[in-house]
Amino acid sequence: MKKWLAGLAAVFSLIAVWQVAAFFLPPFLLPGVPKTAARLVRLAGDPNFYAGVKLSLIRLGAGWTAGVVLGAVLGLLSGLSRPFAAYLRSLIAILQSIPPITWAPFLIILFGFGNIPIITVVAIATFFPMALSVMNATEGVNRTHLELAQVMGASRGQLLTKVYAPEALPAFVTGAQVAFGNGWRSLIAGEMVVGASKGLGWSIHYAGEVADMAGVLVGIAVIGAIASAIDHVLLEQAKRRLLRWRSTAGEEAA
Amino acid sequence: MSIVVEDVSKRFGDLPVLKGVSLSIARGEFAAIVGPSGCGKSTLLRMLAGLERPDAGRVLLDGRPVAGPGPERMMIFQEHALYPWRTVAENAGFGLELAGVARREREQRVGAILQKVGLAGFEKYYPHQLSGGMRQRASIARALVMDPEVLLLDEPYGALDAMTRLTMQNELLKLWQGSGKTVLLVTHDIDEALYLADRVFVMSNRPGTLLREIVLSQPRPRHRAGLAALRQDVLEALQIAS
Repeated sequence: MKKWLAGLAAVFSLIAVWQVAAFFLPPFLLPGVPKTAARLVRLAGDPNFYAGVKLSLIRLGAGWTAGVVLGAVLGLLSGLSRPFAAYLRSLIAILQSIPPITWAPFLIILFGFGNIPIITVVAIATFFPMALSVMNATEGVNRTHLELAQVMGASRGQLLTKVYAPEALPAFVTGAQVAFGNGWRSLIAGEMVVGASKGLGWSIHYAGEVADMAGVLVGIAVIGAIASAIDHVLLEQAKRRLLRWRSTAGEEAA
Repeated sequence: MSIVVEDVSKRFGDLPVLKGVSLSIARGEFAAIVGPSGCGKSTLLRMLAGLERPDAGRVLLDGRPVAGPGPERMMIFQEHALYPWRTVAENAGFGLELAGVARREREQRVGAILQKVGLAGFEKYYPHQLSGGMRQRASIARALVMDPEVLLLDEPYGALDAMTRLTMQNELLKLWQGSGKTVLLVTHDIDEALYLADRVFVMSNRPGTLLREIVLSQPRPRHRAGLAALRQDVLEALQIAS
């Protein structure tokens, strides 16, 4: 319950700073909270707005899924081979230093304008945290847990599915969560840069072009709200359900 | 299944851990290896389990060299090594699951074995909800459910308190007696070895060599105090008698 309170305080302090700043700035530079809220209410009745949000979420979902699945699979496989793990680690070290959005011009030339370059940027952004997180977990897998499975007759495939995968499950979950944050930021950036004609990033970009500050601020608020809703509600719930065995009451039986 | 170790040596890098160890254990016998920490007794056990290979010499089961792990040999690890994400029943049924045994049969066999080790009613508990002794019972159940011919125990009670240890030793004897299984127990507890085993091998400090072999013929249940003379023998062999 206290977490809720802290979250609420964070939201209110942001709104307060915004409103105070709005008192000192002309409305065409920084519209106040009431004016922006009115715009949000108007948007809430606009089907185009929902279509944009939906498209953004579809792009995010596609890119995130691709990146997370690929990262998880490669991260797990690195558990089977030390040389492969070392190779993957160096590869990631090089590629990770490149901000995903910088691939955009290249991807546009390769695939043309549209959804594919944006989804690819999101996939790149989500792949690295997932792959690293799962890799760290598979490298740190409990040796006795592995040997036990070998003694019990596990094949290599069974080692992956019955020991590595469940042992890395907490890492899957945190990796997917970090990947979501990265993917979301890259999605918005991608939509602003790639010249999409719909979506949350695009609507901010467009509002900026026509100096519609209320539009820009509403966009920012919506992006923040959706992201924290997904992160704190959806992903946290998933985490709690998946890691049930860790949270069952720790009482000891006699 | 009979166990024969022939002139086995092993080193890890520059560190020799076993040097010319030979021993043999008859089918259905309860044997124990005692020795100081790091004397290579666990390594020897792991060779029998198929997790390590000797650098020199041979490890034979019923006359055949060990090529790797096998379902007729089950090892019980120090610190139980249960999977924390599996319940007691899921842990106990792990080997059957790997072998592709159908769920119904699995549940039946697991249920019967949990009953036998005294864990009936705890099927749905996770390891962290159990006491140390119960965890070790669960790991014994996991091995026994495979109905192995050889049971290899690596310091199984090392992490338990003294009283639980004694209880667990008696339980192990009950499970073994009349089963026809060959048991090899590795321990640094001399009393435990003498109380449980038909045959006790005493090993030296690293690199491990065989110092003594003691054959016990006392009927069970043994009187712990009656083993004092043998205890002295072992201590003398280890040169820590006085």
